[in-house]
Amino acid sequence: MRGDSFLGIPYGWPLVVAIIGLIVVLWMAREPMRRLLWQIFFTTGRVFGRWGLWLGEHGKAARLSCSEKIAAHRAEELIDRMLVLEDRIGKRAVKLPQEAGPIIARLDSSTHQIDRVATSLAEINVEDAAERAFRAALPRMEEGRGLHKIEKNMAQSTARMMQERLAPIRPALSMLKTEAPRVIAASDKLGKIEQRFTQGVDTVNKTFADFEETLRSPDRIKVAGKQSIIIPWLIALLITAIALSGVFLNFFLIERPMAEIVGEGARIGGIGLPTFAAMIVIFLEFVAGVVLMDAAGFTRLIPAFHSMSDGGRRIMFWVAFAFLAAFSFLEATLAIVREQIIENSAETSRLAASLLSPELAATAQAAADQAAAADPSALATEEAPKGLQLATVAQLILAVLIPWLLATAALPLETIIRNTVFMLQIAGGYGLLGLSFICKTFAVALKSIGLFVLAVYDLIIFAPLWVERKIKGTVAGSIDEKPKNPRAEKPQQRDPPDRKKDPDGKKDKDRERELQQAS
Amino acid sequence: MMRRILPTLAGLLASVSLAACGLVTSTNRSVFVLFDASGTYVKSVPVSARLANLMVAELQPGDWIGASQISSCSFSEKEIVLQQQLPETPSLADQTKRAVFTKLNDYAASVKSTKFTDIHGALAQAAFELRQRPEAARYIVVFSDMIEDHAPKCDTSKVALDLKGITVIAANVIKTNPADPEAYFQTLKDWESTVTEAGGVWALSTSPDQLPKLVTAQ
Repeated sequence: MRGDSFLGIPYGWPLVVAIIGLIVVLWMAREPMRRLLWQIFFTTGRVFGRWGLWLGEHGKAARLSCSEKIAAHRAEELIDRMLVLEDRIGKRAVKLPQEAGPIIARLDSSTHQIDRVATSLAEINVEDAAERAFRAALPRMEEGRGLHKIEKNMAQSTARMMQERLAPIRPALSMLKTEAPRVIAASDKLGKIEQRFTQGVDTVNKTFADFEETLRSPDRIKVAGKQSIIIPWLIALLITAIALSGVFLNFFLIERPMAEIVGEGARIGGIGLPTFAAMIVIFLEFVAGVVLMDAAGFTRLIPAFHSMSDGGRRIMFWVAFAFLAAFSFLEATLAIVREQIIENSAETSRLAASLLSPELAATAQAAADQAAAADPSALATEEAPKGLQLATVAQLILAVLIPWLLATAALPLETIIRNTVFMLQIAGGYGLLGLSFICKTFAVALKSIGLFVLAVYDLIIFAPLWVERKIKGTVAGSIDEKPKNPRAEKPQQRDPPDRKKDPDGKKDKDRERELQQAS
Repeated sequence: MMRRILPTLAGLLASVSLAACGLVTSTNRSVFVLFDASGTYVKSVPVSARLANLMVAELQPGDWIGASQISSCSFSEKEIVLQQQLPETPSLADQTKRAVFTKLNDYAASVKSTKFTDIHGALAQAAFELRQRPEAARYIVVFSDMIEDHAPKCDTSKVALDLKGITVIAANVIKTNPADPEAYFQTLKDWESTVTEAGGVWALSTSPDQLPKLVTAQ
C-alpha cells in the first residue's frame, strides 16, 4: 500500500512519531545547523557584497579615468581651436590698419571740414545780416510808387539782399550735406569692424572659459559629458564605410591583373596570391594615405609626427604623396592589364571551343597557327567594341582616383579609433557598475533568504524551543540569587546564532548591519 | 632601438612559423589526359581533343598538363603526347594553352588506330607521371569507351594500380553497343570499383561543360 505512506513511513502514528522525532533532531542539531545556514547565506552574501563594493569602486574609478581622458581630449581640441582663432584674429589684426586706416583718414578729413564749416557758420550773425540786407534794400524800396509796388519791391529787394548775404553760407551747407553721409558710412564700417572683432573676442573668451572649466572643474564627468562622442563616431563610421566600398571596388579592379605581377597558384592562409597581393597594395595605399594626412597635419594618428620638425614632416608629406602617385600609376597600369587578360582569356576559350571540331579538323592547324602568331592585344583591339574601350577608360579613371580617395579614409579613422576607445572604456565602467549592482543585489537577496530560512527553522522547532525556554526560565528563576560565573558565560557569548542566548536577535541584527555596510 | 627591432624580429619569426605550419599552400593541379586510340574509339579522338581543349582553357596559370594515348601497350614513353607546365602569369599561360591546343590538334589529326586497348597500362603510366609532380591535386582524364582489350604480349590487367590522391575522370565514354545498355553501365561500374580499390576517386563526365568544372573544382 504505497499510497498510505509518506517516504516509506505509513500514515498515522508512525508518521507523527517520525515528524516529532525529526523536530527533536532538528532542535538538538540547531547550533551546527544555524552555523551551516549562516555560512551558506550570510558569508556568501558578504562575499558578494565585497565583490559588489570592489566592482563599484573600480567601475567608478574607470568612469572617472575615462572622463579624465575625454576631458583631456576636449582640452586639446579647445587648445587647437583657440590657436586657430588666435591665428584668425592675428591675421585680421594685420589687415586692420589697411581696413580701418582709410576710413579713419576719411573720417578725420570730414571732421575737419565739418569743424571748419561749423566755425564759419558760427561766426555769421544771421540777425545782423538780415537787418543789413533790409537796410540795403530800403533805398530801392523808396524808389517804388504805390503801396502794392512798394510791398512787391520790398519783398523782392529783401529776398535778393538776403540771397546775397547768405551766399557765403551755401558752400558750407553743401559741404555739410556731402560730409555727413560719409561720416555715417565710415561710422558704420567702423561699427562692423568692431562687431567682427567683438565676435572673435567673444568666441575666444568662450573657448577659453570652456578650456578653463575643462582644466579646473572638479566635476570631470560633467566636463566629459560636454564632449560629443557618438555622433562624430557615427559620422566617421559612415565616411569610412563609404571609403571601404571604394576599397572593395578597388580590390576587384586590381585583383585579377595582380596575377601578372605575382603569379598564380599559391595560397597564403587560404587566400589566393593575387588576392593577397591586391589586399597588400590596398593596405599600402591606405598607410600612405595615413602618413600623408598625418604629415599634412590633418590627423594625429602617428605619434612620431608630433615630435618631428616641420621640415621632416614636409619631407614625409612629399614621400607619401609620391607613393600615392606611384600607386595611382600602378593601378592605372593594372586596369589596362586587366582588360588585356580578360580579352586574352576570352580569346583562348573561343579558340578552345572552335578548334578541332570534326568538320574543321583539316583547317584546325592553320587556325591554331594564326591564333598563336597573332598579337593578343592587337587582336583584342581589333575586335573589342567601342563600349569596351570606354569601359577601359572608366577603369583607368577609377584606378587613378581610388588611391587618393582611399587616403581620405584616414581622416575619420582617428575619430573612429579614439571614440571607440572612449566608448569601450565608458561601456567597461558601466559594465563594472552593473556587475557591482548585481553582486550587491545578490548579497542582499542571500541575506534575506538566510534570515527567512533561519526563521523557518525556528518555526519548525518552535515547540521544543518553547519548552526549553520555559524550563530554563524556571531554573534561571531559582538560581538568580546565585553569583554568576563569568567562565560559564563565555561559551554562550561565542555562540552567535543561538536565539535562546540572544533573545532579541541583537547579534543577528549586528551581522545584518555589517552585511548591509559591506554591500 | 631594441624596442623596435624586437617586434620586427618577432613578426618575421611569426611569419616564418606560419609559413612552416602550412600557411603558404599551392592551388596548382596536374592533369594527365589519356586518349583511346583503339579501333573502336579512334574516330572519337578529335571530339575528345576538343573537349580536352575546353578543359585546358579553364586551367589556371601554374597548372601542369600531360597527355598520352591508350594503345596496345600503353605503359611506354613513346605514347606520351605532351607534358607542359603552364606559366604562372595569366598572359603567358594563355599563350601556352594555345600551344597545347596546337599539340592536341596535331595529335588528333595524326592519330593512328591500334589493335588493342591497354587502359591499365595507360593508367599506371599516368599515375606514375602524376606522382612525380609536386601539385597536390591530381587528375587523370580518360577519353575512352572503357573497354579493355589486352594484347597477348602486353597483358597489364593484373598490374596493381596505385591511384591514391588521384581523381580519375572518364569523359566522352561512347556507347559502343546501343543494344546493350547494361553492358555499358556494368563497364562503368567495374572501372569505378577498380579505381576506388586502387585508392583513387572516380568521376564521370557526361557533358562537355562538366569536365572543366570537375577538374577545376578545387
